[in-house]
Order: sequence, then structure tokens, then C-alpha cells
Amino acid sequence: MPESQTLSSGTSLIVESAHTVPLVSMVIALRTGPAHDPTDRLGLARIALRMLRRGTSKLTSRAIDERIDLLGAELAVDTSSTSIAMHAQVISRNFGAFIELLTELLSDPKTDTDELERLKRETLAEITESLDSDRGLAQRAFSRGFFGDHPYGRPGNGTLATVGHITQDDVKRYYTTHLVHGNVVIGLSGDVTSAQAIDAANALSNALRTGKPLVDSVGPPLMPDGRTIWFADKPDRTQSQLVVGTLGTSAKDPDHHALIVANAIFGGTFTSRLMREVRSKRGWSYGASSRLSLERARHAFAMSTAPGTADTGPCLALMIKLLEAWVENGVTPRETSFIQRYLVRSHAFDEDTAAKRLHLSVDTELLGLPADYYRNYKSSISAVTPEAASQAVKKRLSASNLVIAISGTASDTLDAVTKAVPDLAGAHVLPFAELG
Amino acid sequence: MPTPTFLDKLNAKASPNARLRWAGDHPFGRDRVMRYELGNGLTVLLLVDRSAPVVSYATWYRVGSRHEKPGKTGLAHFFEHLMFNETEHLKAGEFDRKLEESGAESNAATWLDWTYYYEALPADRVGLAIKLEADRMSHLVLREPQVESEREVVSNERRMRVDDDPDGIANELLYKLAYTKHSYHWPTIGWMEDIKAYTPADCEAFYRAFYAPNNATVVIVGDIKPQSVLAKLQKAYGEIPSSVVPPEDIAPEPPQLEPRSVEVVKPTTNEKVFIGYMGPSLGDHDHTPLNVLAEIMSGGRASRLYTKLVTEKEIATEPRCWAATFRDPGIFEITAAARDGHTARELEQVIVSEIDKLSTELVTDEELERAKARLELSQVQSLETASGKAEQIGFYETVLGEPSAAFIRLEATRKVKKEDIRRVARRYLVERARNTVYLLPEAP
Repeated sequence: MPESQTLSSGTSLIVESAHTVPLVSMVIALRTGPAHDPTDRLGLARIALRMLRRGTSKLTSRAIDERIDLLGAELAVDTSSTSIAMHAQVISRNFGAFIELLTELLSDPKTDTDELERLKRETLAEITESLDSDRGLAQRAFSRGFFGDHPYGRPGNGTLATVGHITQDDVKRYYTTHLVHGNVVIGLSGDVTSAQAIDAANALSNALRTGKPLVDSVGPPLMPDGRTIWFADKPDRTQSQLVVGTLGTSAKDPDHHALIVANAIFGGTFTSRLMREVRSKRGWSYGASSRLSLERARHAFAMSTAPGTADTGPCLALMIKLLEAWVENGVTPRETSFIQRYLVRSHAFDEDTAAKRLHLSVDTELLGLPADYYRNYKSSISAVTPEAASQAVKKRLSASNLVIAISGTASDTLDAVTKAVPDLAGAHVLPFAELG
Repeated sequence: MPTPTFLDKLNAKASPNARLRWAGDHPFGRDRVMRYELGNGLTVLLLVDRSAPVVSYATWYRVGSRHEKPGKTGLAHFFEHLMFNETEHLKAGEFDRKLEESGAESNAATWLDWTYYYEALPADRVGLAIKLEADRMSHLVLREPQVESEREVVSNERRMRVDDDPDGIANELLYKLAYTKHSYHWPTIGWMEDIKAYTPADCEAFYRAFYAPNNATVVIVGDIKPQSVLAKLQKAYGEIPSSVVPPEDIAPEPPQLEPRSVEVVKPTTNEKVFIGYMGPSLGDHDHTPLNVLAEIMSGGRASRLYTKLVTEKEIATEPRCWAATFRDPGIFEITAAARDGHTARELEQVIVSEIDKLSTELVTDEELERAKARLELSQVQSLETASGKAEQIGFYETVLGEPSAAFIRLEATRKVKKEDIRRVARRYLVERARNTVYLLPEAP
């Protein structure tokens, strides 16, 4: 299992050596993310980290890209709400040279204005292109309806309206406030020894600015008020993407694992209630699932399907009925023991490589999970009783307060979906292009 | 490797169908893939990997959409769905329930040349996968209700992947345009009108023709004891008879003598271009240099098309090239999305100009080395998990008959020269062999 320590600089380090393939995986993660972007500069965190490979005082952007490729390496930026990370992999024989390059990127970013403007234009084009994904549109509509102005609703990419406002000073300020010793977690795994990893981490950490972890003051979002529809309207759709959700879980809840068990019964596997009713019995959707998102504060529970246009109303009505029955009646002992076996045994695939084990440890740090969260995962799941799972659903989830997000063609389906939702409080129809 | 004595013991009371034969081994990086054959023709490939207490179990059938006929397109993929239904021994849903209860993940995929099913299980559960896969190889129940329910699911899958996805539509059109005679002409998911018309009899006929041990390879990678696994395989599969697999009746694609193009209008945000040059098959000596060429063109931000289209001219988002990995000659795909105010034809012009340069000028040493390093990284990444290894072994065994081909190709990649890149560019990336789909947004 990975070993954790704090470097003398204050940077956290997590390491696991495993020499099964000649590959080293790396994470350089910040304890802050898009949720901490200024509201008029959404997308800043991602732009700032992407700018690290757009030039140093010695290397041009192109020279950096060429170097990364020549070393047999990959470097990408990923975001969640409250953290952002550079993920990298490199063929192990080039590990040392890659660390040298990363150290230079971290210590000496040029933040060139032309490069920044080019990156902003690239980002805007990516946002526009992403509007082609109907599933992405439904998720954005859900985020708009569920989070509203809450920081967890801030998209990592930024928006068409905000990316243009990001300036060179914003990026430089970001480096001095966020890319600092105490705010960074470094993870290394794979074909590297502990000693090599510690040396590399020290080099990387020394390239950072001095500073303490930033205080994350973002609290949980509010429970939705009543049932509202958020419709992303796009012409000529033959099916709809549905995302229906409410407030979910926090890892600090005493009934957190009970809710994980209950959710897996409801929509977490191929034989779950949702899948059985929506796909297996009726063939209404290729996929049907539910998910509890995990963040530092309480996050969302959401279920998703993709029915054909004609089935959208009935499918939505069924999803809500299934949710109501689940919240009201909970789960059965048979369902509970079945899903516990699934969750406990399948956990092997969450940790079957050193890189996966590293990511679990990094997540524990970034999300502020209890230190033994994953170590005790299997025993915590096994300890859940059917009564506890049922009570957790009743206590934490609300079938009366729902955000119902749909991407589809409003002229074909809006009427049917509004009729499918009892006690509907309101419906917002958004032209899909407004979700960029 | 099990001793001959062990096989003798296993075979002592075995029927001819169940007799196990050692058929050699194949180097696979630092390991070896062991090959066995059952009397009924089932090929078994084993790789011991004790890096985690898990097993990947994959069953590859040598049937894909290439084996379909007009009017029944999509049947191979549709059948993949039916394989998760009822058998003579298991009620509907029981297959998945038994696997989930064991902590397993299972899924399947169908493409032009193959269909495969996989289970990822905790190591002590490998016996369950053997039992379940052997059962559905020969005891599937195909009745009207299963076909009807799955028809709706697959129709919805098609809507999601094709009808409501501009890229899906354009890709489908590209293959329709590039292949006029060969069965790669139709999409693996099938035309919607064909999906709506399958009968249980169609499915039964397909099952009897293609789902048999002599048309399949079982690949098992992970923390296994080979002798124990072989004994279980023999017991589960040994009594399944082989079938007479219909001989292939596929028309070769005639040489393309002039470029083809088509426009399609959809509610997309930006214009896109999809180009396909008729290229070689995966087993062709030219495929490896063409694969390197694809990397030089679009692998990473320093690649030629990325530099030209994204960095310098700023007229596109991420361009992508891919040398299709098919058994018969595949196409060399190039796709790119135009930014606001730019057109698919502008992108095409730049792409064609860059393609032309490959035929007239040698690439640089450094470009070649970068492409090779990226391909090596990709190969190493694919070997991180037992499932990744099983997929590599099964894919190359099914398409090329060589489970170690990933490593052989990597060696060949290392030997590719600048002149090879120019040669394959001149041979395949020529105007007369070009097919282009222009995806255009609806008028506002």
C-alpha cells in the first residue's frame, strides 16, 4: 500500500513502488480547484495549470511538447470541484529526465501573454465543441439547476462568458497563492524506488512557492426546493438524456456507507433496480444508473437514463416512482447481503494496480476523507444492516425535492415530461447553446 | 507449464472433444502465453500474472459485422446483447447476478471482425466465469420476449451513439462511402430498419453458425493455477460439440479510382471534416509504418496537424488520425472540428497539404523518435492490468492469429525508417483513395 509523508517544505508525498511494468505514474494535485475560481474568472485554475507547459524562460511551448513526447511521457490536467491535478505517466527509463522537465515547468513558468491568449481561444473552442454531447448538456443543466450559484457548480473549463476575462496577472497570482508547498500533494507510483521518489518529490516541491494550504470554506449546497425541470433544448433529437437528482452524501456522515450500499442496490450495478425496470423489463434506455458523488462537503445523488423521445415521459415517471418507493420502503435484507458481497469483492479492482492505489490515497488527502476510509472500506460496507441502509435513504435523500435535467427537443418532449412529474414546481427551458 | 503427465491424467477418461492438447507458448514481454487446444477446437491462452489477486477472463469469437448480410446488419452486435439473457440453466438476469455476487465486472464488445465477452473477477472466482461462459456458448435460450426487449435497448443505443451524435453519423457515412462492396460498408450497430426486423429465427441461425468452441478463443490472465484452470475448462467446455462455421463470403473491396465526398447537415455547433484513405490490413507489413505516420500527424501537441491546425492557424480543435486495425484493408482516418468562423473545407485543405508533404519530404529524425516513444508508452500502458493484457492477447490472436503481436509490432515500430513513412504515404494517402464527409451545422 502507498506510504504517506510530509516533506520538510510542507508538501504531502504519497509513494508506492511496484515494478510490474516499466512505467511511473505521477500526480501533482492542488487542494483547491474550480470551486475556488473567482466567479468572473471561471476556468482560471485549469488555464493556470495548462499554462505551465506553455513556456519557461528557457523552453518554448513547442520545445516542452516535443520533450514530453520524446521521453515517452504524457501530461494532462484533470479537475474536480475542490481540487485540480496534473497527471503524468512516463516510461521508467526516462523518469529522471522527466522530473527535471517538470521541475523546470513548475519553477519557471513564463506566463507569456500570446500563449495565454492562444490557450484561452483553444479553451473557448473546446467548450463550444462540447455542446455536441447531449449527455454533457444534461449534466450541465443539472449542475445549473442543482448548484445554482454554489461553488460546486463552477465548471472546470470555465464558460464562454468568463474564460476571456482571465489575464496574465490572474495566472501569476494563481501560482503564488495556489501552487505553494502546503497546498500541493505529490503522488508517485510504479517502477520507481522509494528513494528515487523522495528525491523527485523534493525537487518538485522545491520548485513550488512557499505557502500554506488554503482554507476551503465552501459549505454544502442546499437541498433543492420542490421539483423543477431544467430542459436543455436542442433540435432534432431522437432521444433524451435524463439526469434526476437531489442532495446526497458526505463521507463524514455516520450513515455514509449505509447510503453507498443502498445506492448500489438502487442503481449501482447491471442488475440494480433502475437497470432492471428501465432497461431489462422495458428496453427504454441503453443505460440506467444512479450515483453518489463524493466531495469535501455533501454533494449530489443523481440517476441517469437515455430514453427515446416517445418513451421520455413514461421513463421519467417511472424513475420518480422508483425513487419514491426506495425512499419510502428502503431496501430488503436479501438485496443488502447481495450488494455487500458485490461491493466487498469488487473492491479488488479499485486497487489492482499501483497507480489505482495511489489515486485512492491522493483522493483521501484531497477530499479530506478519514485516513482509514479506503483501508476500512470493506469492513465498513460489510457492517451495514438492511435497516441502516433503509434509514440512510430516508434520512438523506428526498424524492420531493428534485432537480430534473433533460437534454432533448422541447417541442417533442416538454409537454410529456411536465405531465410525468407530480407536484412540479416549475420548468426552465434553456437553448442548448446557453450552456456553454 | 503443466507437465505431460498432468495432461495425460486429464485426458485419461476424456472424450475426443474434451481432450486437451499443449500447443506451444508465445513470448509476451517478460512472460509467456501458454496455448492449449481442446478436441472440439476451442483455443485456450493462459498468462500467469500474480501482481494482483484478480483474473481477467475473455472469450473472443471470430464473428463480427463483416459476417452479416444486407438486411440483417447489426446482428452480431445484437446477438452480443442476447448473450446476457436466459440459458437452459439460468433464468434471465441470473448470469449478471451470479457474477456481481462474486464481485465481478462483465461486459462485451462487437466490431467488424470479432465479438468478445469479458469478466474481471477476484482470483478465487475464475471457476464461475468458466462455468457461465461455457453455458452460454451452447445453451442460450432465444425466444420472442428476449429479442423484443433487447431490440428496444439496441435501438436506444443506436440513437445515443449515432442518430443523436454528429460524430457518430459522420463516421457511419465515412465507412458507407469508402466501402462499396466489402461488408465493412455497414455499421456494426446496424441500420435502424434492420434492427427493427430481426426475428428469433435469425438469432438462432446466427448462434448455431458462429457460437461454437472451434470459432472461439478463451484468454485467461491473472493470478491463476494453470492446472486447476485447465481441469475446469475441460469439464465445462469438453462436451460442447464443434460446429461447421460457414465459410466467409465477403466481397473484396475493389480499388478506389477516384475521390468521393458527401455533405451532411446536423444540429452541430461547428463544421467538421472526416477523411478516410483506403489503407492496408492490420497484418500488412505497411500497417506499422502507417501507424507511426498517424502518430507523427496527430499524436500530441507537437504533431504536424496539431501544430498547423490548432497552434499556428487556430482553425480547429484537436485533430485525430488512426490507421484502422482490421483484418481486411482498413481506412486511415483523419478527423478535425473547425472553430467558429472556419469551415470543414478549410481544414481539409490544410490536412491534404500536410499529407502531400509526407509524400515528397522525409519526416525528421526527431519526429520519428517522438512518435516511436509515444507508441511505446501506449503499449506499456495497455499492460498495466490483467484485463489490458487479456485484451491485447485476445485481439491479436483473433485478428492476426498471433497473441504476442503487440510486442512483435513494437519491435517493428522501432525499426521504422523515415523512408518507410514516405513510402506508405505515397502508396495509400493519395487523392484517388480519399473519402471525405463534411459535417455542417443547420442554418440558424
